[in-house]
Amino acid sequence: MSIYILPILFIGLFLYGFFKKINTYDTFVKGAKGAIKLVVEIFPYIACIMIAVALLRVSGATEFLAKCLAPVFNFLGIPPELCELILLRPFTGSGSYALLNDVFAVYGPDSYIGRCASVILGCSETIFYVATIYLSQTKIKKLGYAIPCALIASIIGAIFACLLCRII
Amino acid sequence: MMLVSLAILLYINPGATLSTMIDASTEALTLCIELCAVYAVWLGILEIVEATGLSKKIARALRPIIKKLFRIDNEEIEKMIALNMSANILGLGNAATPMGIKAMKALDNGRGVATFSIIMLVVVNATSIQLLPSTVIGLRASAGSSNPSDIILPTILATVVTLTVGISLVFLCDKIKQKIKGKKH
Repeated sequence: MSIYILPILFIGLFLYGFFKKINTYDTFVKGAKGAIKLVVEIFPYIACIMIAVALLRVSGATEFLAKCLAPVFNFLGIPPELCELILLRPFTGSGSYALLNDVFAVYGPDSYIGRCASVILGCSETIFYVATIYLSQTKIKKLGYAIPCALIASIIGAIFACLLCRII
Repeated sequence: MMLVSLAILLYINPGATLSTMIDASTEALTLCIELCAVYAVWLGILEIVEATGLSKKIARALRPIIKKLFRIDNEEIEKMIALNMSANILGLGNAATPMGIKAMKALDNGRGVATFSIIMLVVVNATSIQLLPSTVIGLRASAGSSNPSDIILPTILATVVTLTVGISLVFLCDKIKQKIKGKKH
């Protein structure tokens, strides 16, 4: 069902543009032009985040942190096997999907742990990545309470996700 | 963070440091090229949405929510945020990004400190609602799951919780901040 949504939306949009007598080709090109400039501007931020995450993983710092935090996660009702996944999730999308695949390979996608991992990834975002990219075009240096709020919300979401996986 | 991991690497595997950094940077470049392609499509579509006046209509529909949530009163910014939110709800995170960046740019007052609206926009995007976790479902299917999409319902419920908690926390923090400020004066 859902695979039809986007094509139908696009057709509708182009028809609507035609109806409104808009030159859709020129308009599209005008918008698409901005893509390269935007990517050139955000590349350094993405590179920096990804380098930092790679160093964290290669150095074993995340594994160590995950081991330290395992009892805390256990107490919160989150399987300790998912510590590393939850720790890395705010930083990297591709990295956390790679970890999800590892979880599937070890525990199976239909196991409790596999389902928890799926829901946790589905309901959370790459918080630091989003914040960095969104701020990359502004002069803002201090984000105030934004990051703590988002992180706490994600943790509560993760606890809730594990709870839901037990019931549903 | 980088310093700590560099220090640890110095101890366990100094040879891997540079190669790790360059590998990650290459990965970032690949990602950016992919993003460039994705943004070109979405920015093109977005321009048409703008030109047809559809974005104004979407913004008008979402206006009551946006006004309350972000405390802004500016039609241009409302439009960008409306599109950013609709893209998020449709699960098009990569389409939401260029619009979110545009809204951020317009919200920036150049003083270097994030305002309430900016914080709210970051938190809403960082805890965004996802109605169809397509990547996760795809990965589950290829891992041999017997029912890859049985996580949709819990995911939607959990994402609603995350978003609600995030928004409430921002309001709460803002209240506390106002109180502290009030005491100082």
